Amino acid sequence: MQTNTQLMLKVLSVLAWIIFIGVCIEAGAFITNAFFALVKPGIVNRLWQQVDLSALFKYDRSYFFTEMLIMSIVGVMRAYLFYVIITMLHNKHVNLSQPFSHTIRRYILKLSYAALAIGLFSWYGVEYAEWLITQGVKMPDTQYLRLGGADVWLFMSVILFVIAQVFKRGIEMQTENELTV
Amino acid sequence: MPIVVNLDVMMAKRKMSLNELSEKVGLTLSNLSILKTGKAKAIRFSTLEAICKVLDCQPADILEYKTEE
Repeated sequence: MQTNTQLMLKVLSVLAWIIFIGVCIEAGAFITNAFFALVKPGIVNRLWQQVDLSALFKYDRSYFFTEMLIMSIVGVMRAYLFYVIITMLHNKHVNLSQPFSHTIRRYILKLSYAALAIGLFSWYGVEYAEWLITQGVKMPDTQYLRLGGADVWLFMSVILFVIAQVFKRGIEMQTENELTV
Repeated sequence: MPIVVNLDVMMAKRKMSLNELSEKVGLTLSNLSILKTGKAKAIRFSTLEAICKVLDCQPADILEYKTEE
């Protein structure tokens, strides 16, 4: 059982690293795109993975940079979320034989807040894109904007917050158990 | 906490050191120290039984209830 858990954690660690690198590239690409759009506006139609925001760029530059800012924030927050997961898995202070610790609880709370921020920014980004469409701007699908699944992020945030509260009670019980002679 | 542990009093009466009690009861020194200093949150009946047996006393000689002021 112990070996299975260790193996599972190693697999999860590798997966977290792969996803972390992926989301870092994505976040970096969005930021670089925004920078290039500022310096060389001609390349707007050739942005990262066919995210064609040239119509929005032509319509209004401030709207374009607002949308790019939201996309970048979501990208950075996603990278931060996986960074927290990686540090949690690599932290030497995390003792899995006694998992109910304040360190793990803090990590779970961080993940919960990060998921909440991603959810809120994604939701706002989608609402903003929809509002722009009503203004007559041709916008790509939210899937291409990497802003989809806001409800899932919010749901995940709530679940993680509940788990953090369960951990709080677990820590109390573990402390009481340790002081039972 | 209104429950006071009088283990040190009983140990003094029996002229028994913490090390000796630890060996006879089979509890670690740190756990006995937790109990003696009143930091313990709970005590198992088996522990209480072992202590009472070694110190030849009643649970009431070790545990006392005092109202909080």
